[in-house]
Amino acid sequence: MKNLCKHILILGLIILFGMGNVFAQKAKKKTTRVGVAYFKSDTKIETLVATLRVKEKRYIPLNDAVLTFYSVSDTLKVLLAKIRTDENGQAIFALANNSKIAKDSTGLMAFVVEYEGNSLLKDAKRKITVKQAGLEVSFFQKDTIKFIEIEAKTADPNTQAAPINNLKIKLYIKGTFSLLNFANEKTDKNGIVRVEFPIDMPGDTLGVLTIVAKIEEDDVYGTVESRGEINWGIPVPLVKEKQRGLGDTDAPLWMVYTLITLLSAVWFHYLYVIFMIIKIKLAKL
Amino acid sequence: MNLNPKSAKMLDYFASQMVKVSKPGIFWLAIATVFIIGGFYALIVQIVEGHIVTGMRDNVVWGIFIANFIFFIGISYAGALISGILHLLRVEWRTPIIRIAEIITVISTLIGPAYILLCMGRLDRLHHLALFGRIQSPIIWDVMAITTYLIGSIIFLYLASIRDLAALRDYPFKSKWRNKIYTILAIGFNGTPKQNRYLDRSLDIMSAIIIPLAILVHSVLAWIFGMTLRPGWHSTIFAPYFVVAAVFSGTGVLIIALWIFRKYYKLESYITKIHFNYLGIILMILGALYAYFTFSEYLTSWYGSETWEMEVLYKLFNPNEYWWWFFFAAIIGVVLPIIVILIPKFRNINSITAVSVIAVLALWVKRYLIIIPTLEAPLLPLQDMRPEYIHYTPTIIEWLLTFAGVALFCVLFFLFSKFMPILPVVKADEGNYAELRKTVLKRIVKEKMKETEIKESEKMKDL
Amino acid sequence: MEKGKNKQSRRKFISKTVPAALGAIGGVGLVAQSCNTTEEEEKVSLLTPDGQLVEVNKSSMQPVSPAEARKGIPGKQFVMVIDLSRCKNARKCVTKCQKMHDLPPEDEWIKVFLMQDSSDTAPYWFPKPCFHCNQPPCVKVCPVGATYKRTDGLVLVDNERCIGCKFCMTACPYSSRVFQWKEPKETNFADREYSPETSTPHKVGTVGKCDFCPDMIRQGKLPDCVSGCPNGVIFFGNKKEDIVSNGTESFRFSELIHDRAGYHFMAELGTEPNVYYLPPVDRLFDYEKGFNNLTDEQVEFYKKSIVKKH
Ligand code: SF4
Ligand code: SF4
Repeated sequence: MKNLCKHILILGLIILFGMGNVFAQKAKKKTTRVGVAYFKSDTKIETLVATLRVKEKRYIPLNDAVLTFYSVSDTLKVLLAKIRTDENGQAIFALANNSKIAKDSTGLMAFVVEYEGNSLLKDAKRKITVKQAGLEVSFFQKDTIKFIEIEAKTADPNTQAAPINNLKIKLYIKGTFSLLNFANEKTDKNGIVRVEFPIDMPGDTLGVLTIVAKIEEDDVYGTVESRGEINWGIPVPLVKEKQRGLGDTDAPLWMVYTLITLLSAVWFHYLYVIFMIIKIKLAKL
Repeated sequence: MNLNPKSAKMLDYFASQMVKVSKPGIFWLAIATVFIIGGFYALIVQIVEGHIVTGMRDNVVWGIFIANFIFFIGISYAGALISGILHLLRVEWRTPIIRIAEIITVISTLIGPAYILLCMGRLDRLHHLALFGRIQSPIIWDVMAITTYLIGSIIFLYLASIRDLAALRDYPFKSKWRNKIYTILAIGFNGTPKQNRYLDRSLDIMSAIIIPLAILVHSVLAWIFGMTLRPGWHSTIFAPYFVVAAVFSGTGVLIIALWIFRKYYKLESYITKIHFNYLGIILMILGALYAYFTFSEYLTSWYGSETWEMEVLYKLFNPNEYWWWFFFAAIIGVVLPIIVILIPKFRNINSITAVSVIAVLALWVKRYLIIIPTLEAPLLPLQDMRPEYIHYTPTIIEWLLTFAGVALFCVLFFLFSKFMPILPVVKADEGNYAELRKTVLKRIVKEKMKETEIKESEKMKDL
Repeated sequence: MEKGKNKQSRRKFISKTVPAALGAIGGVGLVAQSCNTTEEEEKVSLLTPDGQLVEVNKSSMQPVSPAEARKGIPGKQFVMVIDLSRCKNARKCVTKCQKMHDLPPEDEWIKVFLMQDSSDTAPYWFPKPCFHCNQPPCVKVCPVGATYKRTDGLVLVDNERCIGCKFCMTACPYSSRVFQWKEPKETNFADREYSPETSTPHKVGTVGKCDFCPDMIRQGKLPDCVSGCPNGVIFFGNKKEDIVSNGTESFRFSELIHDRAGYHFMAELGTEPNVYYLPPVDRLFDYEKGFNNLTDEQVEFYKKSIVKKH
């Protein structure tokens, strides 16, 4: 009896530990997170950028994992693509008028991005809904004041474009490395934003500036970008290459002349003396 | 135009010395060779392993190699300035000094630049100086100035030796190769009035041109330091300061060389106390000038007490850092020679030589103190955990190469003294070589006759 | 109204020198969906800092030749602004730079000093790259033109020309230069073609220094120390555009310098640096925070070397 008790106890412990291990393993699985954003570039290329992160101390990007993109509607879930993440944990899917993408009557598209997970990582998914929008950047001058005009419209190829009102538009000037924000406005009832042009910005040699208008991370429209170029900036001349100077390839002229004078003065005397030596040789008896 | 029998005797004496090496000579030669071999080994190590084997690091990028470079270029002044000036001024007592001075010039101008090469990270790219040289860089000025200076010194030495070469050509050496070389080098000089005229004119030109050239070379050298924005270097008086320091050390080396050759070749009757006295006085004047420059340089930077200047001064005056070296280099090395030479009671050949040795050593230390403390005190704080990046200590490799340079200097000097009389033998006004030849031959014939006479008399005895 | 009238004149020179980095987006979808694009030229897709997805020929990412690297990117003048009030010696700029340039841990092209201007003033951390001076003493003295100034403001070193005389190291008043004292260790950059723009692979017996990452700049990316800094201390940009950015924020350079009293470090030396500092006022961190990621020994050392005693 005692023995039996003992056995049951041991068995029970083993089971408990085993279970514990299983739980432990489950608990060890790391949390992952999928983020999805919709981008529409200036060139009207639409992409879904999905980012996969895994929780260590904080969330860090996970690369070389497969993310699955689906288009979903009330009833259907259509596989669009399976894409591997890059070193930033990103997988980019281009919409490119894909006919598999379902839209409802209002032009709303819904996508789901899923990560399957594996023995070490948990699965994760994220849904996103977007409506297609478009921005148009134009410039005009009224009296002496220069303006930028942005028009925001829906951009579903199947329906008529309609102005979007009360939409936050951010305006930037494009720099080499970044965009400089100079105005944030909401569209009026015609879907239009008018801003004064920042005329004190330097442009390129011709004064050309690139203005970037953006709808940024909008709940409905995602991120939409549009650009316009105009030569209203202050022209900045190119640096002339190479003058003569201490820090340049060619030396200042006075330096060249001084050097030549000094060296030739000395070497002239050397040559003269060598000439003398030759004369001594010739004058031998 | 009669030949001076004294010259003939002297030539005879030197010629007999030139063909043999005495026992102590061999001994010293062997020691020097050991040092040269050591330097050669160090050179190979440095080439194979890279500059990591030196004590130089990112802050102190120039070490004792550059100190040696300045030192050798400095002593080359002995010949250039002293012999140039003495020649131009037609100073009476110059004769025994001039040849030695000129040899110092040529040899040290040969050895000095070698240290710059040792300091270069990529010796294999030396030709880049010719391909991409920028004349805005003081290094290019230096390359041009030193090459010009070296060639000028060689020409000068050669011109001043032609008369002796001609005499040697006519001297009957046992080994014929000597005569062959002398014949080539003497280019048929025979002391005709025309030849003498040409030669004297050339000598005048060269001694005139070598003086500004020497000043320029050392100024350019000083400008390598003066052109940088570094405390202790960025100073307008650096060029004249370097020039004075150079002549000072050059004179010191000259006195030492005179003393050595006087002893070794028993030239007491030619190199006399007068020469030491005159050179000693020159040394003293230069020492005073040098002290004046030192004082003026450090007084201004101390008085102005700019942070960075103070940083360097602090290093120099800190007993835990460079104070004792500075004390030796800037005070002992100058004051002692001045006192000893100034007071007639102390003034004799040996004491003058001894203070010259001190002055020369002090000047080497001074070069070290010009370079290293400044580099150890950059404008930004030295926040580096690696001690060798903060404080420079020369490695064994650097010392080996330094001593090899000194040894090479001595050996070359010695070899030269085996090739040419160490003092000029033939004077300008006595150029009758045919006569000279006759005297020497007569003497030899006489000796031979005597010998045969003795032998014959011995034979007779035996019989 | 002259709507759209001025829309002409693309910047031709840019499209030449910044190959495909900012234009040419066609066919992104292809690249994005399939990773194996071995057909045709190998392509790499990049996300530009402003969120644009672009596709670049791999060959155009190859470092430029030494001859090309002497010219400079037209129309640019690069500046850096370092905000001392945000620095807490996180040293990410240092490590990022070392990774980028294949440097051993002891060689630092950007250094973080602990500065104290006088014994009564507050200490502060002072990140210091090469200043890419407009009157660079290092360039003046180089005997072979191995270190040179470009039209875009960069001062670079051509390690294939450098003779290792170290004159530039004594001439630079800001201790910006590092010598390659020994043969560099075997690294993954060893088979890379040398370019002064990448400064790798290193060559023994030559000089290296901060190069403002011109290879990144050409791709429209910020230098690694800038993007690596967790506190956004370092701003970088094109002075001609008057925009600087630390990767998350962008400012007008002139306004930033004006409003925050930007200054040149040791301006009295007349080197005209292209690196500006914003004084350490209203600090985000106490300077002692900077000791957190140091060893005791290092802290001791820093504290000792901070004020110079006279
Ligand atoms: S900081 Fe130094 S290395 Fe950089 S450009 Fe200025 S002088 Fe040259
Ligand atoms: S070390 Fe190289 S880059 Fe520097 S001055 Fe000498 S040759 Fe020029």
